[in-house]
Amino acid sequence: MDVPADRADSGSADPGSPRRRTAAKVRARPADRIFRFLSTGSAGLIMVILAGVALFLIIKAAPAIAANWSTNPDLAGGTTHGFTSFWSYVGPLIWGTLWSSLIALVLGAPVAIGIALFISHYAPRRLAGALGYLVDLLAAVPSVVFGLWGIFVIRPFIIPFQDWLNQYLGWIPLFSGPVSRTGSTILAGAIVLAVMILPIITSISREIFLQTPRLHEEAALALGSTKWEMVRLAVFPYARSGIVSATLLGLGRALGETMAIALIISPSLIFSVHLITDTKNSQTIAANAALNFPESNPLQRDALIATGLALFIISFGVNFIARWVVARTGSSGRRKEKVVRSLPPSDPTAPAADAADGPVLARRGREQAAEEAEG
Amino acid sequence: MKFNKAAAMSAIALASVLALTACSGDGGAKSSGTPAASTSDAAVDYSSLSGTITAGGSSAQANVQQAWTTAFQAQASNVKINYDKSQGSGGGVTNWLNGSYDFAGTDAALSADQFSQAKQTCGPDGGVDIPVYLSGVSIVYKLDGVKKLNLDAKTIASIFSGKITSWNDPAIAALNKGATLPSTPISVVHRSDGSGTTANFTTYLHQQQPSIWTWDAGTTWPNNVGSGQQGGSGVVNTVEAGNGTIGYADQSSIGDATAASVEVGDTGKFVDYSEAAATESLTQSGTIAPQGAGDLTVTIDTTKINNAKAYPIPLLSYDVLCKTFKDSAQGKLTAAYLGFIVSKTGQQIGAKNAGAAPLPESFLSKAAKTLASVK
Repeated sequence: MDVPADRADSGSADPGSPRRRTAAKVRARPADRIFRFLSTGSAGLIMVILAGVALFLIIKAAPAIAANWSTNPDLAGGTTHGFTSFWSYVGPLIWGTLWSSLIALVLGAPVAIGIALFISHYAPRRLAGALGYLVDLLAAVPSVVFGLWGIFVIRPFIIPFQDWLNQYLGWIPLFSGPVSRTGSTILAGAIVLAVMILPIITSISREIFLQTPRLHEEAALALGSTKWEMVRLAVFPYARSGIVSATLLGLGRALGETMAIALIISPSLIFSVHLITDTKNSQTIAANAALNFPESNPLQRDALIATGLALFIISFGVNFIARWVVARTGSSGRRKEKVVRSLPPSDPTAPAADAADGPVLARRGREQAAEEAEG
Repeated sequence: MKFNKAAAMSAIALASVLALTACSGDGGAKSSGTPAASTSDAAVDYSSLSGTITAGGSSAQANVQQAWTTAFQAQASNVKINYDKSQGSGGGVTNWLNGSYDFAGTDAALSADQFSQAKQTCGPDGGVDIPVYLSGVSIVYKLDGVKKLNLDAKTIASIFSGKITSWNDPAIAALNKGATLPSTPISVVHRSDGSGTTANFTTYLHQQQPSIWTWDAGTTWPNNVGSGQQGGSGVVNTVEAGNGTIGYADQSSIGDATAASVEVGDTGKFVDYSEAAATESLTQSGTIAPQGAGDLTVTIDTTKINNAKAYPIPLLSYDVLCKTFKDSAQGKLTAAYLGFIVSKTGQQIGAKNAGAAPLPESFLSKAAKTLASVK
């Protein structure tokens, strides 16, 4: 696979370098140009589509944001009844979206990372493969199926648990009553959301755990670490940024989830942290739009699209932060370099440094020597 | 590289296979005629009609439109009718007003505003509301040990506004002499999405008990009582899954759930839903109040329902169409289909296959007259 990479680089390579001559020989094939056009076109298209979506949202949202909510007759009834401005309408929805996703993350991310670690470091190879497939399969389940599963399985299942929470922890606002007797709570919704974000967090974390340099792990073990200490000393520090970005991508998935939430939760447009009530569950943007779009008049539809714009911005922000975290401490190559740079001048008499980093340094040295020889 | 080529080839092969099957599937669907429903309307011959009717709106009409479409196509095999229920009443009217639908199904007659907007869409003759689907709002409940329950408007309003909270409340006990009512708390279940069923139910509560039910009638649930669920089926499922639950739903969607008998006014007579009782209900409470020539907007005053032959909570749904179509052939076609719906045969099919109640004769003859004038 090195060959195509070199070809791609050839355009910017110094003229006269040996690679340039190799590239010139294979340049004239039309398939290359067509393929290049197709892939560049696809990349460009996605930008155009994204810009188009943003533009559509802004144009449609503008009338609803600008409207006078207290006097406009179109906004007097239905879902927008009783709100004095767009901001008072979208505020609770933004809160509900973030709140339900946060609970889902708190419940789901540790489990997802645990599964990923089990698959990458603990499970026997055959089991690991099967388990990986199973978790990935979860991503293929349609969200309406998750929603129905939530209604028929999770809701009845958590009613006694909610009663227990309220009885013993009811003094914490999170668990105060009146307890739902239908199970139609934000907790039930968040549990289902947590299951829905498992596959994305698990599969990304697993890939990153598997990339942990073998030498780091062996070094930790050679120092007498137990397996858990090895994971803590070698795997987690290496994968930290990967875990963060996987979690944020999971958050992005949770933010936009519609059907499962719409089916499971009994919603209200309020700011609330209550987890186990029927009447105090903050509604999410996506579910609110899905539930109210059909019966809305054109201006109300614009208002719902404007809440969609808010969701678009939030999702964009989350993904942006995720990419930024990855870029900052991202690829293994740069991390290695950093580690090397931060080391004190190599002292062969210091046994710890030697054991943990010696092989890395040694290999690094060899690579440098090889590069110098080439140049 | 070899592998990639093979993958590309197989992808192309797969795509073409899919395209081929898609073609054959389409063709198959076209050629297979709908099995004829056992109906024959000797008076009108629809077999010479051909074309496509595009419509959509009210999801309450979804089942009955399906039944009507099947029966109509059995007589007019060259006609295609697409009724999109995902739009909801609001979406249906919006799409009709911007000219994309031949007719729209809606649970509320056109507002004065929409009625004047229709003059822009349809030309100076404007549009008309035709009542087509009659049913009732059932009060469904689940209470272990209680198979039969009597309720009156005052108790229903008190329960759904959160003023009565346990099943052994004296107000309920007074209506159910001889029944043993447990002290189970009442869990109210209502719609979380905008809905014509909610509009009909809140209209009833608002007309009957304005001092207890202090909210206006509307498509979204107005107060903070109980658990919100998506769709009529969501409400019925949640009621069925709990104990001490009570909710409301369009009669046609309640399935095996137990419905309460509702008292007519203060007569002391408790009536169960039946098709005949719903028809009688509209006869007593409905008055045609035309917004324009030929329009059949019905105002329903449930306080006029006064004897035990009528079910107290009717649910009426309309189809709206232009009086003058831009394409007169399309106008004839749409009027023919709606004419079939409001014919005796059509109403019987609705009753038999979708649980609808036949509209009163006086409404049907006026509807037929209006449709005959559609150009």
